[in-house]
Amino acid sequence: MSATLHPLFNPRSIAVIGASEGTSATGAPKMGASALQHLIEHRFPGRIYPVNPRGGTLMGLETYRSIAEIPEEVDLALIVVPLDACLDAVRQCVAKNVKGAVVFTSGFAEAGRADLQEEMVRIAREGGLRLVGPNTAGFVNVAGDMVASISMVCQINPFRKGPIAFVTQSGALGGSMLGRGMEQGIGFNCWVSTGNEADLDAADYVDYLLERPEVKVVALFLEGVRDAAKFFAMAAKAARLRKPIVVYKTGVSEVAAEAAASHTGALAGSDRIFDAVCRQFGLVRVDDVAMLFPVALTFAWVGERLPMGRRMAVVSASGGICGVAADECARAGLDLPELTEAAKEKLRGFTPPFASLRNPIDVTGQIRSYATGYQDTVRTVLAEPYIDGVLLLVTMAAEPRASFYGREISKLTAEAGKPVIVAWTGALSVAAQGYPMLTANAVPNFLSVRQAIEAMAALERYRAFLDRQEQRKAVGDRP
Amino acid sequence: MNATSHKPPLAEAAALIEAAQRRRQGALSEYEAKRLLGLYGIAVTREMLAADAAAAAAAAARLGFPVALKGCHWTLQHKTEADMIRLGLVDAAAVAAACAELAPRLPEGGEWLVQEMVSGKREVMLGLARDPQFGACISLGIGGIFAEAVGDVVFRIAPFDALEAEAMIDELRLGSLLGPFRGLPPADRGALARALLALSDIAQAFPAIREIDINPMIIAGAQPVAIDALVILQP
Repeated sequence: MSATLHPLFNPRSIAVIGASEGTSATGAPKMGASALQHLIEHRFPGRIYPVNPRGGTLMGLETYRSIAEIPEEVDLALIVVPLDACLDAVRQCVAKNVKGAVVFTSGFAEAGRADLQEEMVRIAREGGLRLVGPNTAGFVNVAGDMVASISMVCQINPFRKGPIAFVTQSGALGGSMLGRGMEQGIGFNCWVSTGNEADLDAADYVDYLLERPEVKVVALFLEGVRDAAKFFAMAAKAARLRKPIVVYKTGVSEVAAEAAASHTGALAGSDRIFDAVCRQFGLVRVDDVAMLFPVALTFAWVGERLPMGRRMAVVSASGGICGVAADECARAGLDLPELTEAAKEKLRGFTPPFASLRNPIDVTGQIRSYATGYQDTVRTVLAEPYIDGVLLLVTMAAEPRASFYGREISKLTAEAGKPVIVAWTGALSVAAQGYPMLTANAVPNFLSVRQAIEAMAALERYRAFLDRQEQRKAVGDRP
Repeated sequence: MNATSHKPPLAEAAALIEAAQRRRQGALSEYEAKRLLGLYGIAVTREMLAADAAAAAAAAARLGFPVALKGCHWTLQHKTEADMIRLGLVDAAAVAAACAELAPRLPEGGEWLVQEMVSGKREVMLGLARDPQFGACISLGIGGIFAEAVGDVVFRIAPFDALEAEAMIDELRLGSLLGPFRGLPPADRGALARALLALSDIAQAFPAIREIDINPMIIAGAQPVAIDALVILQP
């Protein structure tokens, strides 16, 4: 896929076919204006060629009456013409030897015109042109400042760059998720709205994006799988590269099961089968769409420091939240082994007398009178060989205590060889300096205990999958 | 990532399925289904087919009492619902009486299946279903009377390897039932994993099989034994 998609994601020149300047009846810019405007405003480093039969200039750029008139090579075309002009635009791209085209226009297979879509794909394939869409919000190479999208999320400028490649089969929802994610401090390498997937599908994009060195994790919003074999191959490649794919899937209702004659057939609903696919092929499935990016980011930040097992330690200054954490760990299948007597003895040296040194470890609110008590406690449990990961729960912490937590937890996380995840449940308005330090320093953090613990459990499941893969390599077994 | 080696179908198993297809059966009878599973190394009940009540009583004597008696015909796919099972028959007279009682409901061409009684407190169910998208899926679930209410069942896409079969067992929420449990020995995990792999092989070897249920598979002591089996053929 790399040879095919690299030129699309890294074009030196882009033509916008159907570029315009106008606004629609609602006052919003026309698609042809959005596409051009986003390219310009996000400072696309290559050449931009607006194409409009009227010619002249658009947004200060010389405009060509047809793609054939463009004097230089065109790597990528953005097609924003009406439905009945799409096939002709694709033909012109083929004639111009364009490598890829994004067809934003709707009204194809999703509106009962599969015939039109098939004809467009046929023309493109015969001419060696790859298609994104149709009926897509487009794609964004965030890392390369290339914004080939009509989504209103592109009004966020600049985009926040980071380790996540986001591929979605829903353009509108995808744009909203991307925008909200960036506001929450999450950075992206790429965003692709796959549209109708007439030519390239989600597995093709993921396959390519996995190869980008800056991509550490893929976030995938899925409505359906088009080609199971290709999907499996994509997952296998991700496993080989040790880059997790975090996936949220809609449409998990039970349809195929109805016709079954056997008990097994009746149980084999699409949700259970997709769950099996994820477990078997190492995809990290989340069942809450709001967890897609936070879990993906946790993987990116934890990197190779995955938990070696299910044994966790919980540290907090609140007995109440320790109880919550114990319940949530049980729910998520994580263990909380009791500390050894030797470890407890050590902790007694730097914790208040009423601290509870079982696990969860409640250092009590008195810990604030001990200059290094909190850090020494966390450092001690991190060093225990029977602890695979540490959950730090911060309840009500106002400045300057909030900054103490932000700073010290950032240091502890940076030096730890094991995963550390924070749940911060207190008011944020009085933690305005401290809480943001966590995200700034790549410390996985959540606002709910359950989410933090689910993220840790996801890390553990992925590590167990990688272990099975390693064993297969070791014995040369059939996988 | 997934297994690439397709084992060729066992000739005897292929013959069994082809014969059923020639007779235009929509499914294998229980006896045929268990022979197929047995050929692939899955432990099944000791059992004999009998054409009539006298033969059934004789078969029971050879197997040793008590026995189970079932009507056996490929159309009898849900025998409990059809009331075609009698369990714990203690002597020849009981077998003959059971045959007489069930005979009016036995389909044309049906026979009697006489089985050893297998006891065990724990039950699992295994199966095969074909997903239109992902292909053959093998299932493992906790069985027994609460099975549906509990809904503890996991799937894998065939083919898969022993590590995946082990992972399936580990994934059951009630997997602790299969460990040392209330004085019972741990279930033979290796045997269970091999049964799952056998289903994976069968799924690959016989596209003509649409669905399989092994339900129940009783953990007898430590050993999982298929008590009943349903093999649905493609139309």
